Amino acid sequence: MHSMRAMLPVIVVHGGAGHIPKERAELSCAGVKEAARGGYGILRAGGSAMDAVVETVTILENNPAYNAGRGSALNVKGGVEMDAIVMDGRTLASGAVSAVRRVANPVQLARLVMDKTNHLCLTAEGASQFARAMGIPEVPEESLITDYARMRWKKNLAPDANPVECQMGKMGTVGAVAVDAEGNIACATSTGGMINQMEGRVGDTPCIGCGGYADNKTGAVSPTGHGEAIMKVTLSRLILFHMEQGRSAEEASDLGLAYMKERVQGLGGVVTVDPKGVWAARFSSLQMAWAAVQSEQLHYGLYVGEHFTESAHEPS
Amino acid sequence: MKPVIVVHGGAWAIPDELSNASIEGVKAAACAGFAVLKKGVSALDAVEAAVRALEDNPVFDSGHGAVQNTAGEVELDAMIMDGSTLASGAVSSVRNIANPVTLARAVMEQTDHSMLTDRGANLFAERVGLPTVPTDTLVTEAERRAWQSQKNYAAGVKELFNKQWVHDTVGAVALDSNGNVACATSTGGIRHKMVGRVGDSPIIGSGGYADNQSGAVSCTGHGESILKVTLARLILFHVEQGKAAPEAVEKALQYMGERVQGGGGAIAVCPSGEWAAKFTTERMAWACVDGEALHYGLNPREDFKETL
Repeated sequence: MHSMRAMLPVIVVHGGAGHIPKERAELSCAGVKEAARGGYGILRAGGSAMDAVVETVTILENNPAYNAGRGSALNVKGGVEMDAIVMDGRTLASGAVSAVRRVANPVQLARLVMDKTNHLCLTAEGASQFARAMGIPEVPEESLITDYARMRWKKNLAPDANPVECQMGKMGTVGAVAVDAEGNIACATSTGGMINQMEGRVGDTPCIGCGGYADNKTGAVSPTGHGEAIMKVTLSRLILFHMEQGRSAEEASDLGLAYMKERVQGLGGVVTVDPKGVWAARFSSLQMAWAAVQSEQLHYGLYVGEHFTESAHEPS
Repeated sequence: MKPVIVVHGGAWAIPDELSNASIEGVKAAACAGFAVLKKGVSALDAVEAAVRALEDNPVFDSGHGAVQNTAGEVELDAMIMDGSTLASGAVSSVRNIANPVTLARAVMEQTDHSMLTDRGANLFAERVGLPTVPTDTLVTEAERRAWQSQKNYAAGVKELFNKQWVHDTVGAVALDSNGNVACATSTGGIRHKMVGRVGDSPIIGSGGYADNQSGAVSCTGHGESILKVTLARLILFHVEQGKAAPEAVEKALQYMGERVQGGGGAIAVCPSGEWAAKFTTERMAWACVDGEALHYGLNPREDFKETL
C-alpha cells in the first residue's frame, strides 16, 4: 500500500461512457491522458483540487474528440446548448450553468457562478448575460461544431435513423474529480448533452447530486452516461451515501451503477475518489475513456477490466 | 392503504398579515388534493391538483403571486416526480405559464427528457397547447410594491433582505390507496434574483424526490442551501436507514443548518402512511389530510386538527 503522503494529490478523469467507435477510441484515450496530466501538474505545483478539475475539464472541452465545449452534440435544431457544474468539497459550494450557448468553456462559467454570485445555477439566456457581465468572450456557434457532430446530427435526422445506435456513438460527457495535497476535494463535469435533444433540454450534468457531488468528508463523484437515468437515481449523491456507510470508492461506484441498471435500466460510468486518495473509474456501459494520475503514475483504460500504467512524465 | 396528502406554502418569516390567508390556502390545497385521492386516482394526480391550487392562489410565490427577478420579470421553476417509476419532469426559468407544475408533468409524460429550460420550455408548452398568460397577470400589486422598494437597497442590504424575506416555494407529497407516492414543487424563486437563476425546486433530489420504496419529500427554504445538501434525497436516505419520517426531516434540516447555515422546511410521506411537516425558519404554512382529519400549522410545533 502507498503511504498517505504518496496517495495525495490525485486526479481522475473521464471522457464519457458509452460505445466509442473504433476509429475514435485512440483519440478518446489520448485526450483523457493529456487532461489528467494537465490537472496533476496543477496539483503537484500546490494548486487546489478546484483549480485542477477546472483545468482538466477545460482541456477536455477544448478537445473536439469529446461531447463538451468544442465537439458538443447538436440539439434537434442543429444548435449547441451546454451544461456544466463544479463543486467544492470544503464548503459544499457549487456553481452550474444549463443550456448555455456560445461560450468556449462552460466549466469556467460554472465556476464564476459559484465564485461571483449568490446563486448556484444560471440557465440559458441568463447564463449568457452573466458571461457577458464577467467579460467572457462570446464565440461563434460554428467554432463549437465539428464535422463529426454535424454528421451525427444529420444521420439522426434521417427517417430511418436508429436514435439509440446514434446516441450510443457519442455520449462523451467529460468530468474530473481530485483531492489536493491539503485533502480538499472537488469535482467538475461538462457536456453538450444528447444528440438531437430538444431545445432547452437539461440533463443530469448541471444538477447537483446527479451530475456531480463533492464533500471533503466523504469524497467526490463525476458521472457520465444516460442523463435521465442518472437523474432518477441522483447517482453521484447515491454513491457518496454508500461511501458514508463504509463502502470503498470502488464498491460504492459499482453499487450505484448496478442500482441504476436494475431500477431504471440506465447505463453509465463514474470516476470517484475518497478523502485519502483512494479512487475508482467504473462503468456499466461497453466503454469509458478514463485516466488517473497518482504518485507520478498515470493509469488509464477504455474497456471493462483494462488498466494500463505508465510514468506520468512520459509523453503519451 | 389509507391515502395521505401533505402540502406546504413555503418556509420563511411569513408576516402576520399573510398568516390567515396562508393557512386557508394550504388547507384548501390539501383538501383539493385529498378529493383526488378519495376518488381512487393516483398520488401523481393529487400532488398536481394540490400544487395547481397553490399556484393559482396569489398569496404564494408560485404561478400567480410569483416574485420578480432583478429585471422585473417572472421566471418560474417546477418539478414533479412519480415514486413508482422514479420518472420526473421539471421546468426551469419558464415564463408566462400559470401552472408550471402541469408543464413539468407534460415534460415527464410527453418527452424523453426530464427537464426543459427557458425558451425551450416555452416552445414545448406551445406544442402541448398549454396557454400562455401575460406576465402582468402573474404579478400581484403587493409584489410590485415590494420589488420596487427593495430595488433601492444597496447590494449588501439587499442580500440580508433576501435572506430574511425569502417569499418561497409551494409543494405537495401524497400517498395513494395503491401505495404509490409522488411529490411536486413549484416556485417563483427569490425576489431580485439574477435573470436565469435556477433554485432547488426543479432539481431532482433537492427540491423534491419520490420513491415508492422509501417515501416522497418536497422542500422549501433557502434554495442554494437545499441544493448544497440535496435535501430531499438526504431526508429519504435517513428514512432508508430506518428513521421515522419526522426524525429524518429534522435530522436533515439540522444538518443543513450546521453545515451550510441554511434554513428551510420539508414535508414528507412514507409508504406506511407516516408523514411529517417540519421547518427551521420562523414559520411554514402546511396542511395534511390523512383520512379522518385535516391537520395544519404555521408556527413551530403547531398541529391543529379539524375533523372533516
